[in-house]
Amino acid sequence: MSIDITGVRKTYGDFVALDDINLTIPKGQLTALLGPSGGGKSTLLRVIAGLETADTGTVTIEGTDATKLPPQKRNVGFVFQHYAVFKHMTVAKNVAFGMEIRKKPKAEIVARVDELLRLVHLSQFSHRLPSQLSGGQRQRMALARALAVEPTVLLLDEPFGALDAKVRKELRDWLRRLHDEVHVTTVFVTHDQEEAMEVADEIVVINEGRVEQVGTPDQLYDEPANDFVMGFLGETTRLNGALVRPHDIHISLSPQLAGASEGVVSRVLRVGFEVRITVLTDDGEEVGVILTRTHARQLGVEEGVRVWVTPVSGATTVPTMAANAG
Amino acid sequence: MTGALSGATIDVARPAPESGGRPGRVRRQKPRNTLTPGAGLGLGIAMLWFSLLVLVPLSAIVATAAAGGWENYVNVLQDPQTWNALKLTVSQAALVTVINVFMGTVIAWVLVRDKFPGKAVMNVIIDIPFALPTVVAGLVLLALYGPNSPIGVHWAFTSKSVALALAFVTLPFVVRAVQPVLEELEADVEEAAASLGANRWTIFRRILLPSLFPAIAAGAALSFARAISEYGSLVLLSGNRPNETEVASVRMLSFIENGSYASAAAIASVMLAVALFVIVVLDIVQRRVSRRG
Repeated sequence: MSIDITGVRKTYGDFVALDDINLTIPKGQLTALLGPSGGGKSTLLRVIAGLETADTGTVTIEGTDATKLPPQKRNVGFVFQHYAVFKHMTVAKNVAFGMEIRKKPKAEIVARVDELLRLVHLSQFSHRLPSQLSGGQRQRMALARALAVEPTVLLLDEPFGALDAKVRKELRDWLRRLHDEVHVTTVFVTHDQEEAMEVADEIVVINEGRVEQVGTPDQLYDEPANDFVMGFLGETTRLNGALVRPHDIHISLSPQLAGASEGVVSRVLRVGFEVRITVLTDDGEEVGVILTRTHARQLGVEEGVRVWVTPVSGATTVPTMAANAG
Repeated sequence: MTGALSGATIDVARPAPESGGRPGRVRRQKPRNTLTPGAGLGLGIAMLWFSLLVLVPLSAIVATAAAGGWENYVNVLQDPQTWNALKLTVSQAALVTVINVFMGTVIAWVLVRDKFPGKAVMNVIIDIPFALPTVVAGLVLLALYGPNSPIGVHWAFTSKSVALALAFVTLPFVVRAVQPVLEELEADVEEAAASLGANRWTIFRRILLPSLFPAIAAGAALSFARAISEYGSLVLLSGNRPNETEVASVRMLSFIENGSYASAAAIASVMLAVALFVIVVLDIVQRRVSRRG
C-alpha cells in the first residue's frame, strides 16, 4: 500500500479540520478525495505532502514514516489549484527546477525536460514564460514540473478548479490517460462529484473532517453508506422519507404498483433530452422525477395530472435522518 | 507519446511570437499615436506641468553651467575641495544604498512575514525619517552621536556622520518598495519549490529574489538619488569641514553665496549626470535580472 494515514487529527483553534482520519491509499491508482468545500480534503492532502503538520497521527509513504519529514524530503509531487508557476523562469526552467535542486547531470535534465514537455504537449512552448501560456497550459506545465522529480506520489489540489468548464473537461480526460501511462500513485482533491466519478479509480468521500465512505465510483453510487454520500454523488429526491435518485422513480397515471404514493404533478420542466417533473404527493412531499422526453410524451404527463410514484425495483434508497428519527 | 494522448484537443500550438524578422515594417503600419482628443488634452497638461516644474529648470541649470564654457567645468572640477565634496557625496550615497538594499529587504521581510508585538507601530515608524524635516533629523542624530552623546559615540563632524545621516533619511525607500511586492507573493509558489526539494535558502535565492529584485532596484535608485541630494540633515551633523565632511550640495551653496552661479551650476549638472546614470543602470540591471531564471 502506498500511503497509510492513521489517527490524523488537525485543528485550527476551535475548528477541527481533520478528525481522526484513518485511510489507506492504494499504490499506482488514481484516488479522489471528494467532499464539500471546507470539509478537510485539501488539509489532508497538504498533510500528506508535509505542507501542514498533523496534531496527532502518522503518515506513511511507501513504508517510510513521513510524519516528521519536511516537504523537501518526502519526494511527493504537488500541483496547486492556482498553478504556482515560477513566473520569472521559462517553461523548460520550471520543469527542470526539481532536477537542478537534485544536482542531476545537465544532459539528463535536458533530455528529461524534453520528454516531459512532450508528454504534456508543451514542447513548442519550452522557451516561453508562464505568463504567455493559458491556464490549462500552465497547469500542464505544473504537472510536468511535479513529475520531473519522479515522485513516489503525485498530489493534486483542485487541479482544474481555476479553469473554465470546457478546458476542465478536456484536462480531466487527459489526466486519466496520462495516469494510465505514467502509473504514479495519484491523489487529487475535488469538490466536483462528476470529476471524481469520471477520473478516479477510487473515491474517498470526506465531510466535516471525517471519511464518510471509501470505494469505487460504482460502489459509492450504487451502495452509498449514508444519506450524505448519496446526496453528494448525483441528484436525489425524497419519497416516503427515503432518499432516492429522481431517475429511479416509476411514474404512472393509474395505480399500477403496490405501495405507490398518489400525488399531483405541480411542475414540468424540459431541459434538453430530459424532462424534470415535480410531484406533490398527498402526504405533502415534493418528489422530483426525471424522465426522458420520449417517455414523458408517451405517458402524457402534464401539470395538474394525478399520478402514482414509487421507486423502481432495485433502486438505491437510503433512509434519511428525519425518517430514522420518526 | 501515444496516439491516445496526441488525440487530445488541448495540444493546439499557436505559432511563437515573431522575434527577429522585420519588426520595422510592422511598427510602421501602426498609427503614430492612439490618443483620443481627451487623452491628448491630458497628455498636454501633464507635459506642460512636467516641463514647468522639471524640464525647464533642469535645462536652465545645464545652460547656466554651459555658459561658462568647458573651462568653467574643468576649473570647478579641478578644484580639490569640489572634487573631494563630489567624491564624498557619491561614495557615501553608494555605500548607504548598498546598506539599504540589505537592511531594507530584511526590515520589509520582518514586517511582512513575522508576527510580533509592536509590528503595527514599527510599520508606521519606518516612515518617520522620510516625514521628518531633514534639519530635525540632523538634530535627532546630533543628540545621540554628537559631542554630548549619551552612549559615548562621537561620530558627529567625522565622515561617518555623512553615512549616518544619509542612512537615516533614506531608510524607508527600499523597505516601502519591497514590502508590497513581498505581500503579494503567493505562498503556494514557495510551497511548490519546497515540495520539489528546495531548501529555504534556495527558495529565497531562486524564487523570491528574482521577484523582489525590481522592487529592490527601484528602492535603491530612489535611495541613491535622495542620498546625493541630501542637505538638511548634514548641515548640523557633519560640520561641513572642507575636504572631509563637506558634501556637494553644501559646496554648491557656498559657491552661490560667493556669487559664483556658473560654478554651482557646473556641480549641479555633474550631480544630475550621476543621478541619471545610476537610475538608468539600475533599471537595466533590474530588467536583466528579473528575466533570468
